[in-house]
Amino acid sequence: MAKTLILHDLPQSEAEALLSNLWAGCTVFSASPAVHPCIGCFGCWIKTPGKCVIDDRGAGFLTLLPAQDEVVLLSRMVFGGVSPDIKAVLDRSIGFMLPYFCDRQGEMHHARRFDAAPRFRYVFYGPDITPEEKATAQKLAAANALNFGAERWSVQFYQSAQAGAEALA
Amino acid sequence: MKIAFINGSPKPAESASEIIINALQARVGQGADSITCNAIKQSRAEIMESLAGSPALVLVFPLYVDGIPSHLLRLLDGIQADIAGAAAPGAKLYAVVNNGFYEGRQNGIALEMLQNFCARAGLAWAGGLGVGSGGMVFAAPIGHGPMKNLGKALDALAANIRGGTAAGTCSVEPNFPKFLYTAAVHLGWRLQAKRNGLKPRDIKTSR
Ligand SMILES: Cc1cc2nc3c(=O)[nH]c(=O)nc-3n(C[C@H](O)[C@H](O)[C@H](O)COP(=O)(O)O)c2cc1C
Repeated sequence: MAKTLILHDLPQSEAEALLSNLWAGCTVFSASPAVHPCIGCFGCWIKTPGKCVIDDRGAGFLTLLPAQDEVVLLSRMVFGGVSPDIKAVLDRSIGFMLPYFCDRQGEMHHARRFDAAPRFRYVFYGPDITPEEKATAQKLAAANALNFGAERWSVQFYQSAQAGAEALA
Repeated sequence: MKIAFINGSPKPAESASEIIINALQARVGQGADSITCNAIKQSRAEIMESLAGSPALVLVFPLYVDGIPSHLLRLLDGIQADIAGAAAPGAKLYAVVNNGFYEGRQNGIALEMLQNFCARAGLAWAGGLGVGSGGMVFAAPIGHGPMKNLGKALDALAANIRGGTAAGTCSVEPNFPKFLYTAAVHLGWRLQAKRNGLKPRDIKTSR
């Protein structure tokens, strides 16, 4: 069976109500309450390669990534990107890649630490997502996929977290 | 004229963002009453207080995962409802985003997010600059040698900030070839790893 990791930013009670039917088949990582933000030290590259040096649960997402076929990001839409809680987890996970540069499609990116990368599926929710925000989110997903070495990604928009969660079932 | 700079690097010191803010402040020149906030060291309330009445806000930060660092995103998300009322009427937002990869255009998505932020917050988006190979600001003074292009771009941006005019969106790379930048950064990682007691091959571990 394909392995799926769901990263979401719902408060615990809402996550239990909306996502509990998915828990059996997937690994679920909650971005809420917020994890410590990245401090820009690059320790995940040159001190403890592949692991974040900040010792809290926020370091855990990175360790789960290599085993996945698909990563689902269920996020409140914020300015055309993910929410601060989700972003804190992603910023803490750049150790998934190597510090070394490589060329992809004529642009500089990071070389892979692992042979393969999961598929990235972005599920954005918000009551009043604008066309501009949707356009930015599409570009962000493509850029993130390129940066995490993922070959496939998709982006979806829903009016509520509930609608987004139902789409995952 | 009051100009409020916000440093969005989470580094405690020696950030490229700090150097860029200093260079911009020198270019904005005398007569400007400039103030610098720090999004990781200061509370939202302290920063809101510093921005009060300011007609020009200038965000300077590193690109993180193709976007805005989480602590800065949290600040923007938190102030979007109040910032237009706190800043001067018609206040403009400018931004300088620097990144680790060579191409400055990779900062374009983060700049777009700021434009989306302005639309929600009721601020006037006045454009900004994407600075490729941001770490190069430590290699030479801005305006000289490999940092010549950046110096010119900051001259132009400072003139727009001073004049209250829109800057448009553009990006710069250093006056330094991509292959040499790559070689220098790769060597840097190996040296830093060695200082931490690691062997070069340890950097590539996948356990
Ligand atoms: C968590 C994290 C994510 C990053 N993501 C990117 C990225 O997506 N693209 C890029 O070109 N550089 C990326 N960088 C590199 C920084 O943008 C670069 O080192 C920058 O010069 C740091 O600026 P500062 O010294 O002002 O903090 C990332 C760095 C960190 C720590």
